[in-house]
Amino acid sequence: MRLFSESMKGLERLCVAVCGGLLVSTLAACGGEDKKATDGPDFARQGDFPSTYTPQESTPVLIRGATVLTGTGEKLLNSDVLLEDGKIAEVGKDLKVPKKGLVVEGAGKWVTPGIIDVHSHLGNYPVPSIESSQDGNEMTAPNTAQVWTEHSVWTQDPQFPLALAGGVTTLQILPGSANLFGGRAVTLKNVPGRSVQDMKFPGAPYGLKMACGENPKRVYGGKGTLPSTRMGNVAGYRKAWTDAAAYKEKWENFHKNGGDEPERDLQLETLAGVLNGDILVHNHCYRGEEMAIMMDIARDYDFQISTFHHAVEAYKVADLLAENNVCAAMWADWWGFKHEAFDMTEANIAIVDQAKACAMIHSDSAVGIQHLNEETAKAMVAGQRAGFHIEPRHAVAWMTSNPAKALGIEDVTGTLEEGKMADVVVWSANPFSVYSKADKVFIDGVLMYDRTDPARQPHTDFELGILDAEGERLPEGGQQ
Amino acid sequence: MGISINVKTKLKASLFGLVCLVGTASAETILIKDAQIVTLSEQGTLDSGDLLVRDGQIAQIAEDLGDIPADLVIDGRGKVITPGLIAPSSELGLTEIGAAASTNDGAIEEQSIGAGFDPVVAFNPHSTLIPFNRAGGLTRAVVLPYSSEKVFAGQGFAIKLTGDFDSVTKPNLVQRAYFGEYGAELAGGSRAMAYAQIANALAQAQEYAENRDQVRRGEWRELDYSVADLESLQPLLRGEQPLMINADRASDILHLLALANQYQLKLILVGAAEGWMVAEQLSKARVPVVVDVMGNTPDAFEKLGARMDNAALLHDAGVTVAISGPGYAGSHNSYLSRQAAGNAVAYGLPFEEGVRAITANVAQTFGMDAGVLAPGNTAELVLWSGDPLEVTSFAELVMIDGKPQSLVNRSTRLRDRYLSPKAGTEHGYKK
Repeated sequence: MRLFSESMKGLERLCVAVCGGLLVSTLAACGGEDKKATDGPDFARQGDFPSTYTPQESTPVLIRGATVLTGTGEKLLNSDVLLEDGKIAEVGKDLKVPKKGLVVEGAGKWVTPGIIDVHSHLGNYPVPSIESSQDGNEMTAPNTAQVWTEHSVWTQDPQFPLALAGGVTTLQILPGSANLFGGRAVTLKNVPGRSVQDMKFPGAPYGLKMACGENPKRVYGGKGTLPSTRMGNVAGYRKAWTDAAAYKEKWENFHKNGGDEPERDLQLETLAGVLNGDILVHNHCYRGEEMAIMMDIARDYDFQISTFHHAVEAYKVADLLAENNVCAAMWADWWGFKHEAFDMTEANIAIVDQAKACAMIHSDSAVGIQHLNEETAKAMVAGQRAGFHIEPRHAVAWMTSNPAKALGIEDVTGTLEEGKMADVVVWSANPFSVYSKADKVFIDGVLMYDRTDPARQPHTDFELGILDAEGERLPEGGQQ
Repeated sequence: MGISINVKTKLKASLFGLVCLVGTASAETILIKDAQIVTLSEQGTLDSGDLLVRDGQIAQIAEDLGDIPADLVIDGRGKVITPGLIAPSSELGLTEIGAAASTNDGAIEEQSIGAGFDPVVAFNPHSTLIPFNRAGGLTRAVVLPYSSEKVFAGQGFAIKLTGDFDSVTKPNLVQRAYFGEYGAELAGGSRAMAYAQIANALAQAQEYAENRDQVRRGEWRELDYSVADLESLQPLLRGEQPLMINADRASDILHLLALANQYQLKLILVGAAEGWMVAEQLSKARVPVVVDVMGNTPDAFEKLGARMDNAALLHDAGVTVAISGPGYAGSHNSYLSRQAAGNAVAYGLPFEEGVRAITANVAQTFGMDAGVLAPGNTAELVLWSGDPLEVTSFAELVMIDGKPQSLVNRSTRLRDRYLSPKAGTEHGYKK
């Protein structure tokens, strides 16, 4: 079944998550009301492998006279964007040229917030895809909530710079979807790093990858263990949440009342982190029926699902998503590689969006991640053809502010609002075009990619001397 | 998007109205006015022109045909006409759901037959993939078997996307085989063995052809392949059928060129991620290449040289480039070859060549009588809402065999059922 295995490889890789606490301060759960990170036990363990990412110092950057899509629903013509101290300092007209720094002439160009991909496997399914480096899926038990995918990330995956050239500044790496609970997901800045900590998005909450449907039941049914059916899947979720609730209570009692310290369980710890709102559920789930069941489970156990991923049937339950404040991450048009991906409509994202649920594009593909602007454009047009009035100024949120929301980082990135991280893309033209390219990509105000300047195009260690001992993987502009 | 229909009485209809014409009294003459027309014939591209279809044939293409009467007049302003898209590599009609084995007929397991496998009987013209891809502008496709066991997968065939029972246009179109890493895996672990197996099969097919009667009477040494396989390789050796074989690494490609030269094979190369490195050799050998433009990641060691401008570099060297849908999207989205072509153009392929790579070049590569717009040809074309390679454009009119085709498909049906999803039972009654 070659086609299937290719689809699986490229597009799904059996890929799960939650709305977590940002910087242990207030966070708006993707779909949720603000939750206070508790001052109870530390289940999220944000400090165990802390981010060591610190943006280089940057000089001010003025992008001048461009068409600006702010990510907040506005399209500003002939406008300027000023980046200072790694932050969006100002967006407006005729801004003063900073005394020193970089001026980017924006005539004919468009500016958007950096693209955020909520679903990626760069680094945990790196290329070349040889067996020894396929570290995305701990397919040994239906519940592996104790694994953290950041421990699998190979930072030298040459796919990272390709995604950067596609305008991606932030991405969530998730475990695969073989398991009911795949483990923790991690949010990265798309910057070169010697360690994964060098790439970790400071303060971003962890995700918990969960999976509905065909994958867990196929993987474990084939091994003769639960689950082998969708009802088996649900029994598995409920058992785990029941255990996690008891674990959380035990630790909270200890925290409050002292006594004997309970035994630490890494698996239950992650789940307890979801229950106290610090870790965000990212749930691989194709079917409408299953999304409805998952939302009931979340209500029963009092947690919030951040986002349904690969939500091919989100449009069928878009009203329920809106009601429950759950996001959906979708493809523009992929379908048919398995039965739960059969009821695809190209208007999926638009219908979810029009139902006032939080809708977004996602890639799950090292190729797709390079073209998320094109994918968003297709989804926008499908919405227009369905009769909805959707313009780029609105649709841009599907690849910027909504995924930021899904990841619990919307307070610090995802739009061009003043004070947010200067994660910005300067496009050669309207990004809702196949011909448009990310010309310049800034992360925290630093020029991390420049299409016209080979000196500002990163290469991973893997690429050095790999095809030509003295050259780059690709000669003269091959990486464009 | 005003379309006026003159059927004795003048009616105004939207493009959706046009769909109503499908399958009913088809308009005998259709005139598209003032569209950009990318003919890919000697007429080149008309920035603004008229195209008249009469009795299913393209009757005229000119800058201005004036007010000649037609049953259906379409205002083509801002729109573009191209030949129908042709997928150079697909499993259309052989697969419905990738992971549902019972819906897949493209491959066989644990059988003695390899090159002789011919899946044409399994072709399902009622597959849901056909109306969906047709709505995306795809009018024809090459349908291929695949193999997870043998370096020769069998016979590919050509179809039109009418969905009719007679939509196979040419069986035994091409032989599908594998080299490179995948071929190596199938051949026991080394591409050297894959090469040896291919060469050996060809040599024995030749031996068989020269000693057919003795072999059949059992008076010849035992050959490694069934008679069916050896027979199926004869059209290759006679130069009547191309060998469609994949290779990505530059050195692999050169070995295939040498093999093709030795046996005088017509080669169609698939993949060719590092084709740009040996573009001159490919050009000289006149070997056309089917490229997955968007597959620019070095996802195998044989693809370390993968790059977005591969198609442009191959074209510059004079190679005939055909562009397939993105590999990651599979047969279900074969029509996305136009997005891939758009990307090729973004990375240096001239626009007209981008269109050619998903139409005329595919036709030429596989010997189909299609892919260009010229008077006298059967109308097989697409009217696009705008630039045909642009992701924001879509097909407004698709003609195959001179007839407007339905653009309705499960994607649009599901959309229309759930445009405003809500609780209750009524969705179950929506058509």
